Amino acid sequence: MKTKRQLQKESTKAKIIATAYQIYSEYGFSATTARIAKAAGVSHGTIFVHFPTVDELLIDVIESFSSKLAIEMHDLADREDSAENLLCTYLDILSRYENFYIHLISEKRLLPEDVGLVLVNMQSTIAFHFNRVIKREINSRTVKNIPVHMIFNTWMGMIHYYLMNKDLFSPNAPLLKRYSEELINTFLELIKNNQEVSQ
Amino acid sequence: MKVCIACGMPMEKLSDFACGDVSKEYCVHCCRPDGSMQSFEEKRIGMINFTIKAQGFDEQAATKIVESNMKRLPAWKDYFIV
Repeated sequence: MKTKRQLQKESTKAKIIATAYQIYSEYGFSATTARIAKAAGVSHGTIFVHFPTVDELLIDVIESFSSKLAIEMHDLADREDSAENLLCTYLDILSRYENFYIHLISEKRLLPEDVGLVLVNMQSTIAFHFNRVIKREINSRTVKNIPVHMIFNTWMGMIHYYLMNKDLFSPNAPLLKRYSEELINTFLELIKNNQEVSQ
Repeated sequence: MKVCIACGMPMEKLSDFACGDVSKEYCVHCCRPDGSMQSFEEKRIGMINFTIKAQGFDEQAATKIVESNMKRLPAWKDYFIV
């Protein structure tokens, strides 16, 4: 059984991670630990008791985000048997983390390599679900016979282009809520094997 | 909720577990046909090949991604201690 002190330590660490997530979502990954400490209501030194370096804090925050997204994808995508449902599920989940995700993909190159790799690993999880559903649809000829990695990369390219240009597409409102339907319908139009379906 | 020690996949449903056995610490994707867990090298090669196939990455980049993931997993992290 955990002692009261251990529980308090865990609770402070969780609070720092949750606050850092909010601050990074709003200001990006160059936000200072002093700002995070102030918002979390802890001393600046407390942050470094739990995270000796900023990189460790970044990795924990991104891993926590990444595992939440992976669990939600696993829960929902496992039940999805069509490309359409999978894309809807993916954007629905992503829309809940939109600001954080935009900073993550825009600032990836500025982050230390280990931190960036956490993001790449998260995208591999998405690719895993994508691969499973799209391959099934290719086999049943409802999706065109295009290499799965090209279908996945085209989809991610389109989504990332919109997210990284949110200031142009939807400066004052959540982007995915506004464009999800159009993005999904257009993408399906591109990959669906309409000829086969109509036969 | 259990998470596969060999690939990190969440395991909730019976079908997520190796051999549908909830006492197992690894998932259906990380077990061999006989039910035992894949070795470090089998898993490493399998994940690299899958990453290349699913995302089209260069082999060297895929290797780096897979190894960085394996470093964090309970089943493999000791393999990376120098």
